[in-house]
Amino acid sequence: MILGLSIIISACLFLGLSAYKAFQYAQMPLHGRMELYPVPLEKERHIYGGSYMEEPQWWSKPREISKTAELIDMLKEMLFIKKLFDHQRSLWWASYIFHLGIYFLIAWMLLLITGALTDLAGASVNAHQTLWTAFLYYLTIFTGLVGFAITTAGAALLLLRRIFDPVLKKYTTLQEYFNLVLLLAALLSGIIIWSPDLTFETARQVTADVMTLSVVPNTALVIHFILLEVTFIYIPLSKMSHYVGKYFSFHKVLWENEPNLNGSEMENKIKNALGNKVYTLWSAPHMQEPSAK
Amino acid sequence: MMKEKDLRPKELGRPAEQLIHLDQLMPLSFPYDQPGMETDFPAVKPEWQEKYCTSLDGCVAIDTLTRPKTEEEEKEFIQQFLSGLGKVFSDANNSVLQPLKLSFEYCAKCNTCSDACHVYKGSGENELYRPIFRSDVFRKIFNQYFTSGGKLKKKFIGADIEVNWETVARLGELAYRCNLCRRCAQTCPLGLDNSLFAKEIRKIFSQEMGIAPTPLHAKGTMLQLKTGSSTGIGKAAFLDMIEFLEEDIEDRIGRKVKIPIDKEGADILLSHNAGEFVAWPENPAAFAILFEEAGVDWTLSSEMLGYDSVNYGIWYDDAQAKKVALKQMKVAKELGVKRMVIGECGHAHKALGVVADRYVYPEEKIPVESWIPIMWELVRTGRLRFDPEKNNFPVTLHDPCNMVRQMGIVQPQRNILKVIAPQFREMTPHGVDNYCCGGGSGFAIMSSPNFGQFRDKVSARMKFDQILRAFSDTIIDKSIPKYVCAPCSNCKGTIREILSHYQATDKFNVRYGGLVDLMVNGLASIDKPYLEFLSDQQI
Ligand code: SF4
Ligand code: SF4
Repeated sequence: MILGLSIIISACLFLGLSAYKAFQYAQMPLHGRMELYPVPLEKERHIYGGSYMEEPQWWSKPREISKTAELIDMLKEMLFIKKLFDHQRSLWWASYIFHLGIYFLIAWMLLLITGALTDLAGASVNAHQTLWTAFLYYLTIFTGLVGFAITTAGAALLLLRRIFDPVLKKYTTLQEYFNLVLLLAALLSGIIIWSPDLTFETARQVTADVMTLSVVPNTALVIHFILLEVTFIYIPLSKMSHYVGKYFSFHKVLWENEPNLNGSEMENKIKNALGNKVYTLWSAPHMQEPSAK
Repeated sequence: MMKEKDLRPKELGRPAEQLIHLDQLMPLSFPYDQPGMETDFPAVKPEWQEKYCTSLDGCVAIDTLTRPKTEEEEKEFIQQFLSGLGKVFSDANNSVLQPLKLSFEYCAKCNTCSDACHVYKGSGENELYRPIFRSDVFRKIFNQYFTSGGKLKKKFIGADIEVNWETVARLGELAYRCNLCRRCAQTCPLGLDNSLFAKEIRKIFSQEMGIAPTPLHAKGTMLQLKTGSSTGIGKAAFLDMIEFLEEDIEDRIGRKVKIPIDKEGADILLSHNAGEFVAWPENPAAFAILFEEAGVDWTLSSEMLGYDSVNYGIWYDDAQAKKVALKQMKVAKELGVKRMVIGECGHAHKALGVVADRYVYPEEKIPVESWIPIMWELVRTGRLRFDPEKNNFPVTLHDPCNMVRQMGIVQPQRNILKVIAPQFREMTPHGVDNYCCGGGSGFAIMSSPNFGQFRDKVSARMKFDQILRAFSDTIIDKSIPKYVCAPCSNCKGTIREILSHYQATDKFNVRYGGLVDLMVNGLASIDKPYLEFLSDQQI
């Protein structure tokens, strides 16, 4: 019961803490404009990095924006890590298979939950019963095998690169090594637990046991669950929560070029921001003039 | 002895007369790949070592950062820095909190950004100038002093730096080894921006410790706020200069052009970097010629700050930036013009067009725009007509980071060049991927005691190499003038310095100037060449 409950709580904490992190960033005061071109929102112009400021009297013309272009750029980054691909191909291979593997493992977990629910509903997930169960059965195997293989390989390669690359190792802190070691430990313990049954029926059964709070513990499973729980809770508290940060650094900083125009939403935001009282003051002599505050 | 390439951020404060030596710079392209084409760094004078912080790389950017005489002074210096560092993540810094926190927290130390940095590359990939080196020192010091936990936790998170006077002073200097060009940020897979750390360190030094390079502060924003211009030009002198400009125009092109001053309700208030009036009067003159020919309703202002668009505050001090920008906006508002147009000055574009955009409510300001789209409109609609044969020599374009990468004004200047310059060729890379000229964020105007050497040899090295590559087909032929078009006052200043440093004008006839100068030179209605170097040269 405790084992099932703790993994559910840690998964909820993962989601809750990630959301809280996003909330904290979203609550931060309005910052000055720091856009960096190309800004994909700029319809057509984004192809060469242009902006609305290329138009004479830009403020009197309707802004031509493209949410689709923004979405495409976002997906390129999310699904392909394009900037790393473009600018550091050698690291991209390891990073990409690692991140792609995580997507596979997320899909695998969702499939396990769906499979467990299907099992609990009485329709056994196997290759023969219905199209749906066969679909679940094979997709779970596929996502699980690929997910574990490439995520683990990616994490191991990233760790090795960090240990042996003369530049990276100069900048890597103990915590940054720990992050990769923790992920590797969680992955390897998962491989140890699930590899005896590569159809993942055991995994689906344990998932169903978690959902019904009736997990039968054994040492290996307990170790895997503890590692998984620590990982779930630790990720949003560490820089591994960059899935949150990346949204803000692109959408709210580099791609945010909204001008301050009469009647605009930005005008309201600025009114609020300018109304905020500042309590901390800088100490240099020229900062003491009233106009500096 | 430790090898310089093995230098790590935690060693910034280690005892050494000079942490690194700039003796293995990036090789330059032909013909500067030949022996004897470049001089070595001049030796660091003992009196500089005694007075300033030369212990970083032998160069001095902050001439107001002097060595302490007593232990108390030393302690106070460190204390002041730490006090400022604490304020960086407080409400005193609201306008940058979110981007800064993101860059502080999320760097994956993947090192993707290094290859994007022209300072790092130009230095021959010296570890000290790797974009994350500075950021990591910042992180380490912050974590050391402002995160809870014992020794073990601090070691775990990398808070393992010894903070002494040398550490802090070198970090201050190191903040002036970044041009704030943000090219590195373009390549970061996480969208992070190392230039923020350089800027924040500069701000701590200025806003908390009262230490900033004289050309930026005492003779920069302070002088501008006092006299109206960072050049020190007052209203009377400015008006004299305008008179001189009108005479000069008549001498050059035989045409009387009246430059409108303080014309109330004009469509356009044109605001120049006042350095142009002093160093390159042909540039504001060219604007006057073009606007008059096209029949534009425009004016200059003779009010304090109205005739100087610069705002050095954006490089080192947010409060100074705001004071300057608000006064500039007030001038435009009081004159009742419809729009404010920034002339050939990149950082002024960004300061008024982007940074100051959120300083005040919309009703308190006048819309701001760049001169480039307006000029392209005048060309496109035939209000300005050209004979491109007059500009039939190799021309390349430098993209000022502030206008291009940071404002997205990319195409109109190219459209103009395609009309007026038949031998226009791009640099590689160009547009939003351009390299900084090496003079960005104040370097263009910082020369003493020996910072000019750092700029010319290191930070501007990549740009010089780009210029050489852009003209590789004709560089060796001295009879052919080659024109580097730099539509920004600071970039132009830097290019002037590098052409002089490498004797590229004397040896290879490489010239430089703005875009409007080239436009006037190509005007169909003018008989004489406008570019001086063409007067005694047959194209
Ligand atoms: S902002 Fe420019 S100069 Fe500074 S570290 Fe980045 S690329 Fe280098
Ligand atoms: S590219 Fe971004 S994440 Fe990678 S080291 Fe540079 S700043 Fe950090």
